[in-house]
Amino acid sequence: MRILLPAAAALAACTLMNFAVSSRAIRAAETPVTWSRQIAPVVYRNCAVCHHPGGAGPFSLLSYADARRRAPQILDATQSRYMPPWLPAPGYGDFSGERRLSDDDLALIRKWVESGMPEGDPAEAPLPPHYDQTWEMGKPDLILSIEHPWTLPASGTDVFRNFVLPYPLAQTHFIRAMEILPGTPQVVHHANVLIDRTASYRRDHPNHWRDGVPGMELELDGGNTFDPDSHFLFWKPDTPLLVEPSEMPWKLDPGNDLILNMHLKPSGKPETINAQVGLYFADNPPSKNPMLLQLEDDKDLDIPAGARNFVVSDQLNLPVDVEVLGIYPHAHYLGRELDGWAILPDGQKKWLIRIPSWDIDRQSVYRYRKPVFLPRGSVLHMHYVYDNSDQNIHNPNSPPVRVRAGNRSVDEMAHLWIQVLPVNVPKGSPDPRLLLEQAWMEHRVREQPGDWIAQYNLASAEAGLGHYDKATAVYQVILQEHPDDARALNSLGAALENAGDPKGADQAFHQAIATRTGNCDARFNLASLQLKQNQFAEAEHQFRALLENCSGDAAAHDGLGIALAGEGDAASAESQFKAALALDPQNFTAHYQLGEIAIAAGQPAKAVDLLSVAAKEQPADIDTRERLAMAFAQSGLPADALAQLREAERIAPDNPDLHALLAQLLAGTARLTEAIDEQNQALRLRPQDPDGWNNLGVLEARIGKPDSARADFQHALQLAPDDAQARANLARLPPH
Amino acid sequence: MLPLLTMVLRALVLLCCCTSAAAWAAQPFGVDLEGRPVDRLAPPGSRAVVLFFAASDCPISNRYIPEIERLDREFASNGVHFWWVYPNPSDTAEVVRHHQQQFVIHGGVVLDDEQHLVAMAHVTITPEVAVFVPERSGLREVYRGRVDDRYLSLGQERPSAQKHDLEDALRALTSNRPVPSPGGPPVGCSIVPRSDP
Repeated sequence: MRILLPAAAALAACTLMNFAVSSRAIRAAETPVTWSRQIAPVVYRNCAVCHHPGGAGPFSLLSYADARRRAPQILDATQSRYMPPWLPAPGYGDFSGERRLSDDDLALIRKWVESGMPEGDPAEAPLPPHYDQTWEMGKPDLILSIEHPWTLPASGTDVFRNFVLPYPLAQTHFIRAMEILPGTPQVVHHANVLIDRTASYRRDHPNHWRDGVPGMELELDGGNTFDPDSHFLFWKPDTPLLVEPSEMPWKLDPGNDLILNMHLKPSGKPETINAQVGLYFADNPPSKNPMLLQLEDDKDLDIPAGARNFVVSDQLNLPVDVEVLGIYPHAHYLGRELDGWAILPDGQKKWLIRIPSWDIDRQSVYRYRKPVFLPRGSVLHMHYVYDNSDQNIHNPNSPPVRVRAGNRSVDEMAHLWIQVLPVNVPKGSPDPRLLLEQAWMEHRVREQPGDWIAQYNLASAEAGLGHYDKATAVYQVILQEHPDDARALNSLGAALENAGDPKGADQAFHQAIATRTGNCDARFNLASLQLKQNQFAEAEHQFRALLENCSGDAAAHDGLGIALAGEGDAASAESQFKAALALDPQNFTAHYQLGEIAIAAGQPAKAVDLLSVAAKEQPADIDTRERLAMAFAQSGLPADALAQLREAERIAPDNPDLHALLAQLLAGTARLTEAIDEQNQALRLRPQDPDGWNNLGVLEARIGKPDSARADFQHALQLAPDDAQARANLARLPPH
Repeated sequence: MLPLLTMVLRALVLLCCCTSAAAWAAQPFGVDLEGRPVDRLAPPGSRAVVLFFAASDCPISNRYIPEIERLDREFASNGVHFWWVYPNPSDTAEVVRHHQQQFVIHGGVVLDDEQHLVAMAHVTITPEVAVFVPERSGLREVYRGRVDDRYLSLGQERPSAQKHDLEDALRALTSNRPVPSPGGPPVGCSIVPRSDP
């Protein structure tokens, strides 16, 4: 009986083939679909980026012969929408690089295959795209490689592994583009690059980081500086090169690590993973600073075995106007429907993304073709549905088991990352990213009061916004639970110092130092506080202790130098500033302080050199401009001095000291009318300044206006009756 | 009762309509990597022959190589003989030799240069498996289809297989139990017809 069945099937096949031939003949006569005219453009636009020699796709589709051979498979893969890979539903977000084939394209492919895959006129076919086997943008400025290539086993379940790539340079660079060469693109499903600002992952895995650390997700320590994640650094086979908008490069500082978080699929043979990351440097820092926000509901992920429609959700109120630039939904194998939207203040619902049939293997970052504007007061929403039944073929557990949140692939996650760019920021308002961070962390703390990382971030945001009392209160909440948390103690000290409580700050810093030997941050803050209070000997002691435990800290050498200078030991101070420069050749403080020392030592030309470097490092620093102007003036270069002060005045037009200095400099070059004008501006900004009135009087007297000068000296004396200078000047004026 | 061989011949004639009526049993099944004809699939004393239809450039086919190697090792002592059959025109001897080295594949290779084995086994996909039992009158197909249920359709993939259809079939066969049919269709890459350029 077994033999008869294929024979019958073969009969049926013959019949179908005949039918196909006759129907094909009719259709072909109507509108012939050819490779050259219709199919090649669709394939080149949507498929060739992976399906080219050396690409991530298993075979090339660059020629007619290639496509003809693969026609049955092209038909299957496209009609089932397996290819090209694209999860978002159309109409729920307009994304750049959308790979979803239109219904018309699908119909064309179907027609082409049914009509026998005609080539048509080869002259009509577009030129196939060209793909380089190496870096698309040419040789990168910096290439980072996995230190120890790792071997992916031939078989088994998918592998999630994190490789640490330390940033080896001693200077900060801004990155305008990044390309990943995964080595074997066929086995790399996707890769996320995370920036570890404090090298925390390496510290947490001292023995394994060189070989990669297993794990689907990872948590990194962002450090004490507010420097929020800003960019999606996401690699997938069809987008190997990430080019950022010119105003938005991202930053890498000395000591940062890149973490390459890779999703790898065994290929059937052992594969060597030796990925390289190529970085292209920007000339300028960003002028626009986006930020990544996260909606999440991991705490509610406790999915009973067999549950088919388990829902979690989150929402976040936006405190500022933003443009949404990109979105990254993320769940593991049980996620089924992943939706994100915003409700605008007028009640309108704006979809951000809808994924009706989630597949972790096809996860991606989606970038909007045009930024999506959301006004302040809009509410972001996340709504995810999970299927933990045996109907979900992705379910890693058979039979299903209860699943909770975690970073293994058998655990679950509910995250929606959104990249926003704050816009319409009113002049003079604080960094809008701090307002976003504050809103985000307040929400997280409300949802989970025990989330002390959120508490900590909230306190930092409050401190960043200058709300030191609020920050202090939150740090104290953290310290009730974690009394020995050195970082919270240190941050509390900083908040207290800023709130005008140096005593409390001093105590908190001392407590932080006591918790862990060699707590360098707290010691640095304590020593800096002591410097501000002119406690130079104490500061010297702390900085020396700091350098014993944490050598190689240029800022600590600077601090020690300032303490020594304060104690009157200029020679020792100078050697500390030089030590700072040896560690960090662009160090601003060392240049500035050495410039000061040169001025004091009567070496204005040397001071000009040093302070010019400092001014280049921090162009907006008014003090540096003032000191540089002084060095120029002492070098007999009043025009250069004037240029520095004019630049400073441009930066800070409301600084009365600058106008007063300009008045002095102009007076010195006999430009008395301009000098009087500047002095008047200084006094408009600071009318209660007796010295200012006295100086104005002198200038008025010099241009022969004794009456005005008299009034000025009298004004000075009204403000300060004991002003001997003003009294003497008044006496020198000719009588009425 | 008609001999089994005759029935198979009829099937082939019907399927291809235009091919010559020469009996496949008289032809080689294909060639080996040296270009020598493979005349016999079932070595003397073997109990079953497994044809694993593979394609060097099909990722799903490649992902099954370790599993086929495992089954080959496991069932070799039970008289089950595995063949790696390459039906696609692009899988030339040179390509397949490289593929075998890359994936460290053991076992015999047949280049199905005329796709006689494709026709004989009625397979359409790589990876797909056909199991035959040698009988006096020829080879009788007892199983055809997927290796396991890891892939349910293109894009529908389990983290790991739950039902090992081929292994179950071989276990049944070697313990003289009825051979179960696969629980679902094979999933992978269509076999490329030979007649194409």
